[in-house]
Amino acid sequence: MFRTKKKNGDIELHGDIWKHIQPGEVVLDAQGITKRYPGGVLANDHIDFKIKAGEIHAILGENGAGKTTLMSILFGLLQPDEGEIYVRGLKVRFRSPEDAIKMGIGMVHQHRKLVPAHTVLENILLGHPKSRGVLKLKEVEDEVMALAERYGFEIDPRARVWQLTEGEKQVAEIVKALYRGAKILILDEPTSALTPLETDRLLESIETMTQDALGVVPFITHKLPVVLSISEKVTILRKGRVVDRLNTAETTEQILAQRMVGRPVIFNLQKQPIEPGEPVIQVEELSAKNNKGVMALNKVSFTVREGEILGVAGVAGNGQHELAETLFGLREAKGGRILFRGQDITQASVLDRWKLGMGYTPSERTEVGSIPDFSLVENVTMNYYFDNRYNHRGFLDYGGLRKLTEQVIDEFDVATPGPDVPIRTLSGGNLQKVILGRVLSRHPKLVIANLPAQGLDVGATEFVQRKLLEARSQKAAVILISEDLDEVLSLSDWIAPMYEGEIVDMIPAEKAQKDIIGAMIAGLHQERES
Amino acid sequence: MTLGGYEFRLQRRATLPGWKAALFSILAVLFGLALFSIIFLQAGQNPVEIYKQIFSYAFLNSYGVRLTISRFIFLALASYAFIIPAQAGLWNIGMPGQLYLGALASFGVVYLMGGKTGEITASQPVIILLMLTAAMLAAGLFGAIAGFLKGKWGVNEIVVTMMLNFIAFYFVAFMIKDGGPFMNLGGRGESFELPEAARAPMTGGFPITLWIVFILMVMLQVLFSRMGLGYQIRAFGKSPAAARYAGIKPFMIAVLVFSLGGAIAGLSGYHYFAAVPGVYKIARTYGYFGDLAFYGVICGLISLGNPVATLPVALLFGGLSIGGRYAQGKLHLGFGVDYALMGVLMISLVAFQFFYNYQILITKKEKKLDVAISD
Repeated sequence: MFRTKKKNGDIELHGDIWKHIQPGEVVLDAQGITKRYPGGVLANDHIDFKIKAGEIHAILGENGAGKTTLMSILFGLLQPDEGEIYVRGLKVRFRSPEDAIKMGIGMVHQHRKLVPAHTVLENILLGHPKSRGVLKLKEVEDEVMALAERYGFEIDPRARVWQLTEGEKQVAEIVKALYRGAKILILDEPTSALTPLETDRLLESIETMTQDALGVVPFITHKLPVVLSISEKVTILRKGRVVDRLNTAETTEQILAQRMVGRPVIFNLQKQPIEPGEPVIQVEELSAKNNKGVMALNKVSFTVREGEILGVAGVAGNGQHELAETLFGLREAKGGRILFRGQDITQASVLDRWKLGMGYTPSERTEVGSIPDFSLVENVTMNYYFDNRYNHRGFLDYGGLRKLTEQVIDEFDVATPGPDVPIRTLSGGNLQKVILGRVLSRHPKLVIANLPAQGLDVGATEFVQRKLLEARSQKAAVILISEDLDEVLSLSDWIAPMYEGEIVDMIPAEKAQKDIIGAMIAGLHQERES
Repeated sequence: MTLGGYEFRLQRRATLPGWKAALFSILAVLFGLALFSIIFLQAGQNPVEIYKQIFSYAFLNSYGVRLTISRFIFLALASYAFIIPAQAGLWNIGMPGQLYLGALASFGVVYLMGGKTGEITASQPVIILLMLTAAMLAAGLFGAIAGFLKGKWGVNEIVVTMMLNFIAFYFVAFMIKDGGPFMNLGGRGESFELPEAARAPMTGGFPITLWIVFILMVMLQVLFSRMGLGYQIRAFGKSPAAARYAGIKPFMIAVLVFSLGGAIAGLSGYHYFAAVPGVYKIARTYGYFGDLAFYGVICGLISLGNPVATLPVALLFGGLSIGGRYAQGKLHLGFGVDYALMGVLMISLVAFQFFYNYQILITKKEKKLDVAISD
């Protein structure tokens, strides 16, 4: 029927291996996948994984459980040390994603791999066989639109990628993969950047795909309810091994989390009632521009008191990021003022803000929040080089800083070989623990946490959230910026949904309703007063 | 990659101990020398003999050693002038200009004291100190221009420092040629000669600037490994965005590193024209020393910004430039052979730095079926 042969290691296909596909047939079968990293880390330890046509089979695991490695192996970005992959019973070896794509595997990355300055259509064409020679743009556009319509995606093929929301970018990536002929679709954290409405739509589209006998493999660390609602089967990874294979119909969120983390996880965080104290930060009609010079924050006002968490909810790109940066002096305020414990700090330098007792954990953890080549000690030093306790007449007390770092490692349960390794060797969750630990070790009076749990696994998320609540119990004011409504609802005392640079409403936690807030951040609930 | 049943794999290193880095550099030098001997063999020369001539003249001959040390001091200072901004992630290629500003300023002190025409009455230590201060101040300010423009408006520092070199060159020409204030009375297109009292004293046969190099090494080492300011410079160099977030002020860092770098480049100008025996004037061939200052960039890059590692590198290239020129003349080698040799060694050193970050793992390959056939 079809045949592959080896010629300089290339896979050569004769005929279409995806002909006559039957729902329920095993399309991808990975057996005994093993991958060792330098230093002896066993990222994948004999993982077996099967997916059938028309099946949604989620892979669940914490950061560091080996998910990324497995995903990379299935997509040809990494080669396994041991183990075999079969596509429709055909043994294959992917030397690059090109090979994997040829064999019908598509991947939608969590960190989008699109060219921002190009249109959606140009991005879809990039790397496609039809991009050779003269471009038949019209023909491709028609085909793409037909595909989008089939699966219920709304997409403007001529829009430039930088103009799109995160959700639209994801749709573009999915359509790109499908247009390349993907029969097995790997989705990395498919719902992490979506609003509730977009999530629902995506799930519907995925349903349609399964009717077309596509196999869908979402990889998930964070949003367990999605796993339950979307998939039929789930494979749980922990420390590089498959610890469980479950039918989702027979399981619960609690069971999944427990199997994934290896211990019970408390979902209802204990939020102690605290009498709010003095106002810590008062923001009056604050405005700021984004990097493109457009007003992105429009006359925002609010107050946060001691022992309060203000949850700023919103979809990415609605001014939350600009708000965080302006509050911390990393972005110029174009109007309004900021009072910190009664003092006007609108023009104060970043250094002054640290010294006054403000703390900020940025969402860009590797670009802004840490210096990847620096050791853990040197990264902790970022918040202490100016501090008289560790800077004696210009000389840094590296011995003391090392002790401090060890305390942070200890208290925040950071998995690291030691305080002297470069911080780039840490996993995402551990990196965030160091950043948060470093900031909280200063006992700031105000903590601005920008997407503190984004991309973290269930265990690390719970840990980070608990630490923020601890800061609140110690009478700190917390501004929590998050795209995850569940997180905002479970942590905040006040909720401020943001849409297009404005705070739509200030809602006390006890009156907050998820669907109303969800509508507000989607811009569907502007006039509440009426 | 596989080769003859063995699999070669690259692996990224997490850390590298200092002795290994030094070992790789020594291997790189040996490799470079071996590679270049092919050229000597092609020319029908015995490479061993040539290397013997080069190294024995540069490091054993008493006259050669003095020249080597002079050159070493110059290169070390030029390297430091590069290293300090480099630690902040900024490129100073304005050493040629900065060193001439330094040289002119120290000659200016002597000129103002009447040293061009007669003897100076002030005591030698006072004059020397004033000359050093003037050299550092003038060159530091000249360097600070690039830092200011970078810090204030983000103007590319490479372009600015390079363009300032031209300004400095023409300024030198103005001062020492065609009736310029510093012109030699004999009108030979070079500066006046320093009077006895304004010449840097020698210690143990070497100029005092040698001590300045060692003192600077210690100071820079302490700055970068112990001090808060050095930490800020390094943090800014590794990640400007993270540094800004940590409260480090980009403007302050940019101005500071270029002032310091410029000041040290100024010292190298002082060294060559006021501290080397037999010179004591700004020579007609001043462009040559400008070119030589670019070796500071190379030495700084090879030593990866480490002030201690800079010294052996500067010594090697100082010695090679002296010994190479000597051997070329003595053995009638082709023109430019000395520079070609230095170039090959540089490339070899830089290429070997690959092993600072990676190691090659060689494992025996087991038999593996790549693609099976099925019907």
